[in-house]
Amino acid sequence: MFKRLRVKAEPAKPGLDLGEISISQLIGDVSLPVTIKALNSLPENPKLRLYRALIPIQVLAEFDINPRTWKNPDKLPQVRLDAEHGSDKVKITAWYGADPQNEFFYLELADNQYSGIDLNFLIANNPLSEKYRTDYDDEGKETLFGTVRRNLVEEQRAMQAGLAPGQIREGLRCSNIVFNHIETFLTMMAHHAFFLEPLTYVSAWIFEKRGFAYSKGHQLMDTIHKEFQPGGELHKALDGSTPFRQPDQWQTVRGRAWAIHDGILQVIDRKWDDLKMIKQIGRQAGVNTFPDAKY
Amino acid sequence: MPQRFQITRAAELESLSVFRQFISDCCASHNVPHDTVFDLKLAVDEACTNIIEHGYKGMDPGSIILSFRITPDRILVQITDFGHIFEPSEAPKPDVEAALEDRELGGLGLYLIYQTMDNIDYQSSEDGNTLTFTKYIK
Repeated sequence: MFKRLRVKAEPAKPGLDLGEISISQLIGDVSLPVTIKALNSLPENPKLRLYRALIPIQVLAEFDINPRTWKNPDKLPQVRLDAEHGSDKVKITAWYGADPQNEFFYLELADNQYSGIDLNFLIANNPLSEKYRTDYDDEGKETLFGTVRRNLVEEQRAMQAGLAPGQIREGLRCSNIVFNHIETFLTMMAHHAFFLEPLTYVSAWIFEKRGFAYSKGHQLMDTIHKEFQPGGELHKALDGSTPFRQPDQWQTVRGRAWAIHDGILQVIDRKWDDLKMIKQIGRQAGVNTFPDAKY
Repeated sequence: MPQRFQITRAAELESLSVFRQFISDCCASHNVPHDTVFDLKLAVDEACTNIIEHGYKGMDPGSIILSFRITPDRILVQITDFGHIFEPSEAPKPDVEAALEDRELGGLGLYLIYQTMDNIDYQSSEDGNTLTFTKYIK
């Protein structure tokens, strides 16, 4: 009955454990997706040459870091690559000044269980802007972006300064060029898409602007938008009961994000979890769950 | 040069009317015959209903991307989702010869698409599932 329905499964992708690959193998079959683990098995220099493409030169130039050597004018290293042999992750960290702990850029890509690529972390902060200690609670314990603990005093200061939940400094506003670099890099590696889990409502909204679609959670985003409208349950819950639930917050992406970070989704029996977004290489999905949004 | 149109909505039943309106708008700007528009709406409706009811089953629904490419003699439709991989060969085949009272409810989606569209193609991978069909404009 379905004789005219042609079903084409994608060519089988290689398993995660490609083992050692040579440069000639890497460039030999342009359609073969290459895993991070396989790239990590390359010798150090070719590996460095490839991964160097992941960090935008504009970002480095902003802080006087040579994009080829990853050093500052004093010849001191400012960027670190973690891509150990046998690992299925690559991490690139750039810092400002002498202290490597003073990171302003952090990118982590990893193989996922489906032989695709996950963007685990992307942090790009302005190291010259004021720091808010939202990443540690008042007992000095890590908050993990406010997901396991919260530092309410610092969060309130951060919110008043215009930051989004999870941010400790102003952003560098470079996600567009970073994603372009990631897409170019993944195209070189013959991948079709990459995935991420948005940490906050602000992140999800930004990723929508960058062309991502949802593999999970699009309906939740629609529900959030609907319930933040006047008369909706989330709108009603902006009752001033905490500094993060002020009545006018429904109007902005950041306002909604802080209320969600504060747990407001409980009133509609939902949680901010299990959202997953996908960026198909070269394709803009055009999702817009908050039309005419003000940031 | 073909003109391309695209819309992305959540995989929920409320999106079906948005997709239908989108098809009307795309076709109106190209003077596509009414019966062709009707067939396109029917096929897209069936395909998207299938995605909503089965593709994202057990998940917080993700997106459906509907895109149209219109040339003077054909319309190419692509529907992409990121839900469970669909195996057309495993879909139960409806018995369209059976008496109405003996038929199972539903299950006509692929059959209707097959009846109304021309070339049909389905590709699935972990990066998304894409159903593509062509409707020739007569």
